[in-house]
Amino acid sequence: MRKFVALSLCLAVTASLAGCSPSSSSDSTGATGASGNADNTSAVDGGNTSGEIPTVNLTMWGAEEDQAVLQTMIDSFIENYKDVADITVQLGVESESTAKDTILTDIEAAADVFAFASDQLPDLVKAGALQSIDELDAAIQAYAGKSVADIESANVSSSVEAATYNDTLYAFPMSADNGFFLYYNSDVLSEEDVASWDNLLAAADAAGLKVGMTLASGWYNAGFFYGAGFTTGLNDDGTTSIDFNGEADYTGVEVVQAMLNISGNSAFLAVADGDMSNQFASGTLCAGISGTWDAEAAQQAFGEGYAATKLPTYTVAGDQVQQGSVAGFKLVGVNAYSENAGWAALLADWITNEENQALRFEQRQIGPSNINAAASDAVAANVAIAALAEQSAYGVVQLVGNNYWDPTATFGEIIAQGQLAVDDTAAIQEALDTMVTGVTAPVE
Amino acid sequence: MMKKKTIQTILHNLLLAVLALIWLVPIVWLLVTSFSAYTGVNATSFFPDEWSLNNYKNLLFSADTVAQFPNWFKNTFLIACASCIVSSAFVLMVAYAMSCMRFKMRKPIMNVAIILNLFPGFLSMIAVYFILKSFNLTNNHWGLVLVYSASSGLGYLIAKGFLDTVPVSLREAAYIDGASEARVFWKVVMPMSRPIIVYTVISSFLAPWMDFVFAKMILNSGISSMWTVAIGLYNMLDRSLINTYFSQFCAGGVLVSIPISILFVIMQKFYVEGITGGAVKG
Amino acid sequence: MKGGKVAAGIKSFFGSVGGVFKNFGTAVAKGDLFVKLSMLVMGAGYIRRKQIIKGILVTLLEAGVIAFTVLFAPQYVSKFGTLGTVVRESVFNMTTMKNEYNDYDNSFLILLMSLVSFVVWAAFLAFYIFNMISVYNLQKAAKEGKHINSFREDIQELLNKKFHITLLFLPVMGILLFTVVPLLVMILVAFTNYDQNHMPPGSLFTWTGLTNFINLFGGGGLTVTFGYAFVRVLAWTLVWAFFSTLTTYIGGILLSLLINNRKTKLPKMWRTLFIITIAVPQFVSLLLVKHFFADNGIFNSFCEAIGLTEALYNAGIISNMSIPFLTSPGWVHVMIILINIWVGVPYQMLIATGVLMNIPGEQLESARIDGATPRQIFRHITMPYMLFVTGPALVTDFVKNINNFNVIYLLTSTYVTTNQALANSQAKETDLLVTWLFTLTQDYYNYKMASAIGIVVFVICAVFTLVAFNRMIRGDREEMFR
Repeated sequence: MRKFVALSLCLAVTASLAGCSPSSSSDSTGATGASGNADNTSAVDGGNTSGEIPTVNLTMWGAEEDQAVLQTMIDSFIENYKDVADITVQLGVESESTAKDTILTDIEAAADVFAFASDQLPDLVKAGALQSIDELDAAIQAYAGKSVADIESANVSSSVEAATYNDTLYAFPMSADNGFFLYYNSDVLSEEDVASWDNLLAAADAAGLKVGMTLASGWYNAGFFYGAGFTTGLNDDGTTSIDFNGEADYTGVEVVQAMLNISGNSAFLAVADGDMSNQFASGTLCAGISGTWDAEAAQQAFGEGYAATKLPTYTVAGDQVQQGSVAGFKLVGVNAYSENAGWAALLADWITNEENQALRFEQRQIGPSNINAAASDAVAANVAIAALAEQSAYGVVQLVGNNYWDPTATFGEIIAQGQLAVDDTAAIQEALDTMVTGVTAPVE
Repeated sequence: MMKKKTIQTILHNLLLAVLALIWLVPIVWLLVTSFSAYTGVNATSFFPDEWSLNNYKNLLFSADTVAQFPNWFKNTFLIACASCIVSSAFVLMVAYAMSCMRFKMRKPIMNVAIILNLFPGFLSMIAVYFILKSFNLTNNHWGLVLVYSASSGLGYLIAKGFLDTVPVSLREAAYIDGASEARVFWKVVMPMSRPIIVYTVISSFLAPWMDFVFAKMILNSGISSMWTVAIGLYNMLDRSLINTYFSQFCAGGVLVSIPISILFVIMQKFYVEGITGGAVKG
Repeated sequence: MKGGKVAAGIKSFFGSVGGVFKNFGTAVAKGDLFVKLSMLVMGAGYIRRKQIIKGILVTLLEAGVIAFTVLFAPQYVSKFGTLGTVVRESVFNMTTMKNEYNDYDNSFLILLMSLVSFVVWAAFLAFYIFNMISVYNLQKAAKEGKHINSFREDIQELLNKKFHITLLFLPVMGILLFTVVPLLVMILVAFTNYDQNHMPPGSLFTWTGLTNFINLFGGGGLTVTFGYAFVRVLAWTLVWAFFSTLTTYIGGILLSLLINNRKTKLPKMWRTLFIITIAVPQFVSLLLVKHFFADNGIFNSFCEAIGLTEALYNAGIISNMSIPFLTSPGWVHVMIILINIWVGVPYQMLIATGVLMNIPGEQLESARIDGATPRQIFRHITMPYMLFVTGPALVTDFVKNINNFNVIYLLTSTYVTTNQALANSQAKETDLLVTWLFTLTQDYYNYKMASAIGIVVFVICAVFTLVAFNRMIRGDREEMFR
């Protein structure tokens, strides 16, 4: 009768469901997985002398543009450890800026080792995606011949700060290039011109060109507040603390007035987030605030006049204040759910060690976070990285929660569109208060 | 009298020409940008300053990690074919059952289907992902086929609306001749439903070329050779890549559109045949 | 009248459910030994009536479900009440170079797999009851000496009288697994605290009852502005759905009439030209259009070149020297609807052409003979026919537009609002509910709130659609044009 078809298919479905239950449960219970592999890993404990070496399969994610250089590093990693383990590494593509989204969808399916931008660290730690590196100290000492403390001291302290959460190191610093500074055309602007916003805008106006900056992003516009002594922070419950509506060296209102004076200048161009390279290419700019990723675009636009320096000073309540910035880093983390956490950590360490940071600079012009690698002449000669290093004295490690971004972007956009009047302090204060309310809203 | 008619005809066709022009402007921009030597977004002139075939050459013959176009194309094509077959079959099966047959649960099932259609699919994306994972179908093209086609039966309404217009008398004649329901489905109703079959086939074939959200979630191993065209092209517009890959993105868009256009053109022939065959008028 | 109809529908539904249970009771009470045995071994009754293959298949299915129940379901269903209690703890083992961890619970998998189990069991229960009834019917048939179908005849029947079961089975299975179960999961998530601070597998989430709904309606939810953002987003969603559906629908019919007009030269060529725009994937064409209309995009360069920008600037309509097509509220809303016309009209034209070609010829012919003008024919024959055939599609289009992700997301994902109240709730003026939900889940992992909002939206849409739909496809109209 009618049930025949229904029945056979039902059967197929239930059978396949039942059939795959053991595999899915063993995926999630590490205990079985670990004991199952005990036989081939026991060799390690006998040290390198034992004849049998473990087979280790690792996966790694890195940025699209870095694939070639990463493959070189992986090959040397495998070569370096070939006496103690038979390692294969599969390299995949995952942009550092979106790594968090992909990883948090399914941590268990994420790569063993992945590169990510330092602002994602708090979320990744809270979700339990990152392996504590401190816990692996012994393994790194045994195989890489250095301690976690060595790693921390080899990299610039702000990069270690960005990789640390609750006093635990959660990732290896890979590069110190995720910050912003000023590109300018030295044919048009002199060194005095780029020292302050006032001179900069006047000179640009005289040349009939513009100065571009992204205001509609809490990453860029916070620089004005950081410069005036304001702070942001991350609380234990995941909420963000922010004091932009209060008083530091100056009042928040005064900072906003300074920003409005800049954005209201006809030589200022508010650029949409991520659109700076297009603006460089369009030829309307003589200077623009961006990071190393736009070095090529700036170089092409300015040609011989290509130059970069720290951010200019701006005028707050009659004083010249150095504009601050965000010190961002690229980090390499180890998946807490990795089947081979120890080997994964060794790979992460390998691709972030001094030689490989130097190699990364050589091939991709990415600024090293390693102190020795950064000290080389070649790095110092790189215009963009030198400017970034110069700005780093005023850089702040920005640890904020998720609720930070939308309200601050909107606030920046309001300033960019000139929707606030410079002398309307009440409205400015209200806008600041609203922004702070949004940023500090509980994470639920 | 004659003259007035001629003027009307000219105006009529002119109107169509203007409309077509509006509709084609972005397509033409896509086409010319794909031949641009400048790799970023050209904001100053419609036509590129310098012409070049490099975008196509890079895309097709020197696959780097960013642009593995031949692989993506193959993947998407296979996924599209598989899910197109399954979903077209599902849609037509459901439409026939709902339109031409009468059974007890018909109305309740139809109401439930409408309600299910209302739910925003993105909300349940994560649940779909874990269902596929429990079948070990993530990072697998069959998993994507399932995502695109398994629930396609819900989209039966348009096909049903069409089948409702097929005269009952034709089917009744077939029943009297002793044909079974299955035979009527195959031999009587389906041959008369070419336009809606074409519509169904085309729309289900298109889905995998368009979707970048589900595909990115399910093919999450980071192995770019496994991607579909949509993920790959979408990825080219990543902030760090757009200035090097925008014109290649356009070239990719053109290459994707070609097979789909061919499909449309071929199908249009059947489409018109199905209509002018006059079967329905009887 | 509608209410009465629905009530009657509900009544008849429960009536038939009651009937099923009554029949089941009768079967259990009056069945012979083998029918009673079927309660344990489901195929017994069929085997007794010489339907051996069927009997074996049914029994195998039963065995499969039992295996599922014993081997698979308990590990999840037993924890359904708490959604898990064991948090993951891991310790690094230097010897193996691996992490060793406890047998931790994953709340989401518990929820999902429990629901799969419930669905399997519910389906099996229904099957079980119908099986008993059918076995008893067999007994009665045998007693009365009626013909009992052979296996071959059963299959024949599935291709004829019961063809709808054959047709519907696979599609329904697909829908169950890939739409119904995920939907139920997400509905249940609205009653939990699944958010960024409670994300499996790292941590557990658990039931919180109606808290999320109370937060949504009583203020104090995510932020104080949440209710405000919800109303704003909902309003724009409805406005958008209405206009986008209406404009593309009418545009599609007009275009198809235009092309199919006798005055048109080369109708096929025109149709092909419009169809080409469908052939370009939406994400390509929409992203392209977005760059086309960007503040520093090519269209703005064009407007500046012809002096339009300056005219608007001098007229005080715009405040910058670029036209904010996609960056300023008002402008962006109009642009989105216009661009959607561009996207949607060729599709609608395709459908309309197909339907128009199917207008019964004799109706048009007799109208023409009666001396009706083309306009009259359009109003009294073409349009009613169109509405009848595409009416249901119109309703689904409306719903599709409520959930239209692509157009909005691709055009406005980089749009920054200047409305602080919206920004504080992660929304913006152009957001539809679905794109807002997407942001909430993808960027903020706020699954519980997204689910709660999703349910509210869902209820609104469901009420609207059921009312509209039942008007459109009332049974009496279904046969009208045959």
